Amino acid sequence: MRKLLCVVLVLGLITGVAWADSIKIPVASPFTGQLASFGEGVKNGAALKASEINAAGGVNGKTVKIVLEDELCDPKEAATVATKLANDPAVVVVVGHLCSSATLAALPIYREAKLPAISPASTNVDIGKMSPYYFRNVYRDDFQGAFLARYVDEVKGFKRIAIFYEVNDYSMGLMSAFMKEAIKRGITILGTEAYTSDTTDFKPQLTKFKMMRPDAIFNPGYAPQGTLIATQAASLGLKVSMFGADGLDDDLMVKNPDAEGLFVTTPFLPDKAGPQAAKFIESYKRVYGKDPNWFAANTYDAVGMAAEAIKAVGMDREKIQAYLAGINSLDKAYVGVAGKTYFDENGDCLKAAFIKEIKNGKWVSSQQQLQ
Amino acid sequence: MAGRHAHLRGLARAIHEISGLSRGLSVENLLDISSLFLQQLVNGITLGGVYALIAVGYTMVYGVIQLINFAHGEIYMLGAFLAYTQVTLLRLPFFVAFLTTLLICAVFGVILDYVAYRPLRTAPRLAALITAIGMSIFLQNLALLLWGSQIKSYPRDILPRLFFKPALTMGEVSLSWLQVFILSITVIFMLILHLIIHKTKVGMAMRAVSQDKVTSALMGIGVNRVISFTFAIGSAMGGMAGILVGLYYNAIFPTMGYIAGVKAFAAAVLGGIGSVPGAMLGGGVLGIAEVLGAGYLSSAYRDGISYAVMILVIIFKPSGLIGQILGEKV
Repeated sequence: MRKLLCVVLVLGLITGVAWADSIKIPVASPFTGQLASFGEGVKNGAALKASEINAAGGVNGKTVKIVLEDELCDPKEAATVATKLANDPAVVVVVGHLCSSATLAALPIYREAKLPAISPASTNVDIGKMSPYYFRNVYRDDFQGAFLARYVDEVKGFKRIAIFYEVNDYSMGLMSAFMKEAIKRGITILGTEAYTSDTTDFKPQLTKFKMMRPDAIFNPGYAPQGTLIATQAASLGLKVSMFGADGLDDDLMVKNPDAEGLFVTTPFLPDKAGPQAAKFIESYKRVYGKDPNWFAANTYDAVGMAAEAIKAVGMDREKIQAYLAGINSLDKAYVGVAGKTYFDENGDCLKAAFIKEIKNGKWVSSQQQLQ
Repeated sequence: MAGRHAHLRGLARAIHEISGLSRGLSVENLLDISSLFLQQLVNGITLGGVYALIAVGYTMVYGVIQLINFAHGEIYMLGAFLAYTQVTLLRLPFFVAFLTTLLICAVFGVILDYVAYRPLRTAPRLAALITAIGMSIFLQNLALLLWGSQIKSYPRDILPRLFFKPALTMGEVSLSWLQVFILSITVIFMLILHLIIHKTKVGMAMRAVSQDKVTSALMGIGVNRVISFTFAIGSAMGGMAGILVGLYYNAIFPTMGYIAGVKAFAAAVLGGIGSVPGAMLGGGVLGIAEVLGAGYLSSAYRDGISYAVMILVIIFKPSGLIGQILGEKV
């Protein structure tokens, strides 16, 4: 028994020493499961930023090491990952999570452990005000939903819309934000129907929509279901426009010929990004052979902010929280590839939104954008 | 259209207002209400046919060895994936892949029985049940390793274009050739199954084994062979259901067998477990209840609605719709 204890202690020392010359930045997101393709952008963006930081000499003489934590976009898994990270003294800041439901599950655990976290992608409205330790460099759904309603009204001129949402925090928050603005603008919401993440049969609800004769269907969900909805709508002869938000911004959609014409909101478009993004887009293309999506761009920035914070105040959770909370005005903003980020008192930020659409089986930036 | 049905529209509006039936729905006339119902019924019957195909596998195995084969849902999933691999990787024509998948699934069912259940034939029933759950988890994870976790769909061009065109259109109601194909395959195979069970020697042996294993063995029936045959037939049907569902919803993924398996099990219980016509009826009722529940009550609770139907039937008729209460076996 004592021998075993010795071995464990020695092993602990060895690994501890190994960690001592690198700084661990965990990135929590789905990397397997249905939403694995979202995680791919997250992984690539984080890895690219880390390699650039390390090539430039690292942070305070130490190299940055990205540790991927897979939580499958599942709130239960997210809570497990969060507990693990919260109890690891080598972790001083977390980049994650991606899905709003996962973030909401992890949030109380980080708050309890006073561990600051930066989400590159969770847009649910409630997140910011629930914890002073949660920050995000992405817009909120009340902004995104209203933006989309404005676009639909001003550019597309849709008057009758049916909404098909998933039962989760992201989709439902986005739906209510969209509805609030749409109704204010005199758009008729014909009906709302729900599905869950394990649904594969969308025909009963789509059949109902067909009878309502909408101008368009709004799907504030994720791509794996969105692509099935597009196909099943086509098979029912429901030939109306479909649009969604950043959860449908995935290459899964362009592989589906029935999704032609789909348009979505997104926080990042390579050809609409400012000059600060040119270098990022170029090296991303060189390394991964394709354009970065918004998950890659926002994660790249989030890792950058985490590294800056550690550089400025060292390996201390409380001080990093204070540092991030201090980025609270435009002149102190972190200038990233997806725009400037500064936080309000809730750790939320204002970011631009763009519209992209599928044209001839490819994502393209929509001609008309809202300012 | 507009003028002719003006009176109907008025009536519909009145019904709409009185009943509040279509809350949140701005259905414009009675025609819409009825064609909505018809279309949902068509969707429900198609879904029910698929549930019935899977349920048959549960119910046959249960009838013969009183085992709830929880790995059956995974065979359904494997069926979908095996056909997928054949049409994408090996580029086989769809109908060839369809038949070989049935064969592979049948063989697989036999192996499953041989490896996992036969050694436990004399063990308490609970042991075999737990093994079944274990096999289910094992197969699901095997599929995760082999095919990954993302949703896959069959390439569009494996079926003639005709399949995606409507076979029958009445106003807004349409029945696609794919739905006709699924329904007719279901009916044909159910008939074949019925003939096998009631008109062939091996069917007679199956019925004998289901009544009394020991006596059947004494009468010279190879009990293990009959059980293998039952697994083969049930698994082939399950694999076929997997392909049909993969085609119909355009989605195959490693966990698809779990929900479908539970639903089909519910259908088997609903119809009366152990009874093949019961499984067909149970599948149909469950499919229709689920689709109408999603269409008229609440789509967020569609699974809840279908289980509620099952629970109600079990409360009022514990033996299921068709099943009989058997006396205790001595």
